[in-house]
Amino acid sequence: MKKLFKITIYSIVFGSLFILNSCSKSNENSTGNIKIQNEFIFAVNTVPFALNQKYVHPKTFDTLTYTQFRFYISNVRIQKEDGSWWNENESYHLISAKSAEEASFTISNVPAGNYTAMEYTLGVDSARNMAGAQGGALSVANEMFWDWNTGYIFLKAEGNSPQSSTGSFAFHLGGFSGTNNIVTKKTTNFNGAKLTVSGSVTPSIVFLANPARLWHSSPSVATRSTIHMPGAPAVTMANDFYGNYSFKEIK
Amino acid sequence: MNRILKIIKALRACISIFVLSAFFTSCSPEEKEDTGNSLTQLIRPKHFPVAHYTHSNNPYTREGFELGKRLFFDPILSRDTTISCASCHHQSHAFADRGIALSIGIKGGVSSRNSPPIFNMAWSKSFMWDGGINHIEIMPFAPIINPKEMDDNLNNIIRKLNQHPNYPKLFQTVFRKTNIDDQQLFWALAQYMSNLVSANSRYDLFIAGKENFTTSEMKGLKLFRQHCESCHKEPLMTDYGFHNNGLDEQFKDQGRYRISQNEIDLGRFKTPSLRNVELTAPYMHDGRIASLSEVIEHYSSKIKSSPTLSSPLGEHVGGFQFSDEEKDALVDFLHTLTDEEFITNKALVYP
Repeated sequence: MKKLFKITIYSIVFGSLFILNSCSKSNENSTGNIKIQNEFIFAVNTVPFALNQKYVHPKTFDTLTYTQFRFYISNVRIQKEDGSWWNENESYHLISAKSAEEASFTISNVPAGNYTAMEYTLGVDSARNMAGAQGGALSVANEMFWDWNTGYIFLKAEGNSPQSSTGSFAFHLGGFSGTNNIVTKKTTNFNGAKLTVSGSVTPSIVFLANPARLWHSSPSVATRSTIHMPGAPAVTMANDFYGNYSFKEIK
Repeated sequence: MNRILKIIKALRACISIFVLSAFFTSCSPEEKEDTGNSLTQLIRPKHFPVAHYTHSNNPYTREGFELGKRLFFDPILSRDTTISCASCHHQSHAFADRGIALSIGIKGGVSSRNSPPIFNMAWSKSFMWDGGINHIEIMPFAPIINPKEMDDNLNNIIRKLNQHPNYPKLFQTVFRKTNIDDQQLFWALAQYMSNLVSANSRYDLFIAGKENFTTSEMKGLKLFRQHCESCHKEPLMTDYGFHNNGLDEQFKDQGRYRISQNEIDLGRFKTPSLRNVELTAPYMHDGRIASLSEVIEHYSSKIKSSPTLSSPLGEHVGGFQFSDEEKDALVDFLHTLTDEEFITNKALVYP
């Protein structure tokens, strides 16, 4: 009798372990990763853009050498074929033109399926600009934050130019309230393409970023070589860059 | 036989529970002894409004307060390890600097504005004379990286803290994370600063009906409520707003305008609380006025006109023309705002 009882218990324990195991395996199959990549170009047809190289701007004719180009992408969400949205949790990413690795990020635990659109924010939402100390990509130690006038620097472009009276330029763009607000929400429908998420392959969504666009309607660095706070000049520059930032392909 | 074994087993279990509980109880009296020099809970006086800072992401603990306190007094937060927050914020002066108009940073750097006292920060929605900082947690970032103050950078400080013999353990106790990062540093400092609460002055006792004012203090209170209270709102003695109090006609320091870029804010600065004002000389954003009686003289006869002069003062260009007796009464009243307990409470300072 006792033996029989033992055998039953063992079979229940092992059986349930087996079931749990097979469940977790099928769970693995039901989620996947997505890579978001940024390709940098300078103006039109100049591929690729890289830091520490000389470029002549087609509109201002300034000679520009970027030493830094970083910006935030946040609040990424994607839309399934059935119209429902999946939001990435704690979705804040700092992009840098320094390397391909720093120009991309991976979103994980995305439910498997077909997706037809992506929504994202260029900049950092106002809530996080007012919520005190943050971690991860929003850590103040990333030097994308104003100490004296609270707020994230959404985009930082620094470098050298002989046209600047100081020999250098530094454009720190941010602003999350009133007329200075440059938090920019954008959506892409992948130009009609389908994004398929599964456990076996990691698709990449590629975006194009063009650092030349900062001067699309802003004056030469001879006129203005720095922006260090929110305001009208930052709004103009951000609108030009953010407006041009766009989906390229899924691969 | 089986029964005897069962009884022995049960007895064993009882003994181990007894031993364990004895061990725990022997620990707790030691902890209790310590609380005399610490603050076990947030101090939120009943006669104050609800605090603005709620600790929602940063739950208050005694260990967190202690850690923040230690950091506040540690020069590890400056580049050359020569000054701490406490170097310019002394308890004896309600955590303002000691009678200095502009504080001195590392290597003799001179800061651009007067070091404000630190108390009741949990009620404030903005920080610094121009209100440029919107949250108590990231307030310390400014003095830490200001080249004229502590001149360090966060990555360096985080490295120093992670390599320190004591800090990693102290941070782990509070935040339960493997490595120290800047978020934890700011959270710890906020736990300390948000609990520097000054609410036990003679004025507070008077409000509570536990203390009488002299005739002159009463007269001062009446004058205060008549002429000062529109900006220095009771009970915190500030409206946390921005005002131009008629110091200048032209502004060397643009004040709030630096942040808002709105012309109405030219020469406007954040209303300082008048609590402990007796201890925080010299006065104004640049420390230009040496004594309280001279401050009263400013409001009595020296208010200067400008387009951004705050409206309650606009009707009194030139000043309120106080009599000598009224001036003395106002100073007498302001002295009732001194909180002796706050400036002597050993739990608020690192030994």
